[in-house]
Amino acid sequence: MVRSPIPPWLMIVLSIGGLVVALGVYGILSARQTAINETQSVLPGIKGMGEGFTKIRAPQGTESNPKPSWLWQDTKASVTRLFAGTAIGVVASIVIGILMGSYRWIEAPLAPIISFMAKIPPTAMLPLYMIAFGTSTNLFIAMVALGIFFSMAQSVFQATRQDVTQEAIQKAYTLGASDMEIIFEIIWPQIMPRILENIRLQIGPAMVFLIAAEVLFADVGFGYRIRMESRLLRMNTVYWYLALLGGFGLLLDWLMLKLRQYLAPWFQG
Amino acid sequence: MKTNTRSIWKHWLRNVSPFAVALAVGAVAWTGCDSSSSKTNTASGPTSSGGDPPPVFSLAWSEYPSWSVFGVAEANGLIDGAKGSIGEMERKWNVDIELKQRDYDPCLQEYGASTVDAVCMTNMDSLAPSLSRPSVAILPTSTSVGADACIVVGIDSIEALKGTETFGLEKSVSQYCFERVLELNNQKPADYTFKNMDPGVAAQAMQTNDANTKSIMVWNPFVMSTLSKRTDSKVLFDSSAIPEEIIDMVVVSKDSLAKKGGKNFAYAIIDTYYEINKLMADPKTSDQTLTAIGSKFSNLSLEEMKKVVEQTRFYKNADEALTLLKGDKFQKETMPKVVEFCVSHGMVENAPTVGFNQADAKFNIDLSFLEAFKAGTAKPE
Repeated sequence: MVRSPIPPWLMIVLSIGGLVVALGVYGILSARQTAINETQSVLPGIKGMGEGFTKIRAPQGTESNPKPSWLWQDTKASVTRLFAGTAIGVVASIVIGILMGSYRWIEAPLAPIISFMAKIPPTAMLPLYMIAFGTSTNLFIAMVALGIFFSMAQSVFQATRQDVTQEAIQKAYTLGASDMEIIFEIIWPQIMPRILENIRLQIGPAMVFLIAAEVLFADVGFGYRIRMESRLLRMNTVYWYLALLGGFGLLLDWLMLKLRQYLAPWFQG
Repeated sequence: MKTNTRSIWKHWLRNVSPFAVALAVGAVAWTGCDSSSSKTNTASGPTSSGGDPPPVFSLAWSEYPSWSVFGVAEANGLIDGAKGSIGEMERKWNVDIELKQRDYDPCLQEYGASTVDAVCMTNMDSLAPSLSRPSVAILPTSTSVGADACIVVGIDSIEALKGTETFGLEKSVSQYCFERVLELNNQKPADYTFKNMDPGVAAQAMQTNDANTKSIMVWNPFVMSTLSKRTDSKVLFDSSAIPEEIIDMVVVSKDSLAKKGGKNFAYAIIDTYYEINKLMADPKTSDQTLTAIGSKFSNLSLEEMKKVVEQTRFYKNADEALTLLKGDKFQKETMPKVVEFCVSHGMVENAPTVGFNQADAKFNIDLSFLEAFKAGTAKPE
């Protein structure tokens, strides 16, 4: 039956089973490929993956000029870009979205542009962003920030307009509230959980935009390393990077979920 | 909860079977895709005779002057790039060539993943794939004599480039050319900064007057487009200082070559390449052929293509190709230098063995096909 419960132990067994099957399928494919060609590096086995892991953690540079491992260099660069870009995009979209939802004279000039821009795939805008922001770190931050800004500003605007009833606003005005009090005391608490949920949903796209920009422009970072290593057919390092990206995304997702549950336990999503 | 056999069956039909079907289709697709390169494959479809259809071999090529030749061969019917149908050359050599046009990086990846039998790539980029897929170079198509260039704005000498970042693709012929020319000018590459950026966007950055981008190291068509669009830019140095070191070639996997019809495939590729070169050499068809290549290389015009083929010098017959490959300079200096560069720049951890006519070398530069072709002893198996 639809939604009929299953015992917790079965849930756990099946979850682990899914993972085992996925790894098993990979193992079979890998073994098959190895049987065809012993030296294949496309679907590395356990040994190859182990070597890849050692490699991404090995210190780089020379004795006189030591550098940290690839993993550390790339994580530092990509995480910095991702957080800076996401922070700017989120703050800007919250401010603009709330203002648009609150004042018709701000909505009128901005809404058409924002809803139009939200339909354009951000990665297709890269050449334009390059001209606007140059080719330095700014570009990656701008890519992430603008990548999430338009769609998020739109949903903050929608939330401000629809999640807060006209009655609540009228009541507050009747009780003598100022515009700022309406925004901070009435609108903000009601839309805050939806904004948190939105940030959570934007983490995936933000990572996509960052990687896309890094593939073309970066000389350090996840996108750069994935391109270089896959060009040289060293999939044992590429797969680690992909797995780390997945894990990192899951972690952020989970953290945002916990934050929302903590700040807005009443919210149903 | 009612769970009799019938409802379980219904449940399976409605909910599980679509996934099972999808899985099965995926598995079949995977198997099919894999077998196209790893096992002898037979084409289904129309063939010249009533006998067995000719074996299928695939070649991945990307837009580059001497590789776009294969696109032209497809356009004029020498090769029918689709699987299952054959053109003039394929009939002659009794082989079904499947042409796959890709960007350059995907070409390398497809070849490495064994989803194609052969690929167009440079001598340098052949080393990494050879480690996991023993490879044979059958045909050098051209060499860069100015097609890779360091283009600068407001910099007048190589000395003055110190302290300015040069943008280009790391671990590629660009970085190789950059460091080689610096060495030839008695400079230490370590004193100069080469920073990674995709060549297409590096060229675009310079063309749009990006403030950071004062120096780029790119290949054609980006060299030409940058020089024409950014009028104050100029070539500081280029690959004409190192002719016959960056070699564009056709490389076939050793396993594919050993399959039935593998030799025919190699001869068909060589034959096709020189056939188009003949058309380029003939004054009557020269312009037309160059225009056709231009249409498959960044949509360049005839005038631009005339410049391009000076900067990318074609090895237009087996004599020229053999002169290069047999030369002491290429065998004893260039290839070892390229290998050394790949090792020192982490492109390969262990150098693959590079051999000339040496069957057990991981990367074997095999002259026998060109020699047989030149002597006229190449015949369909």
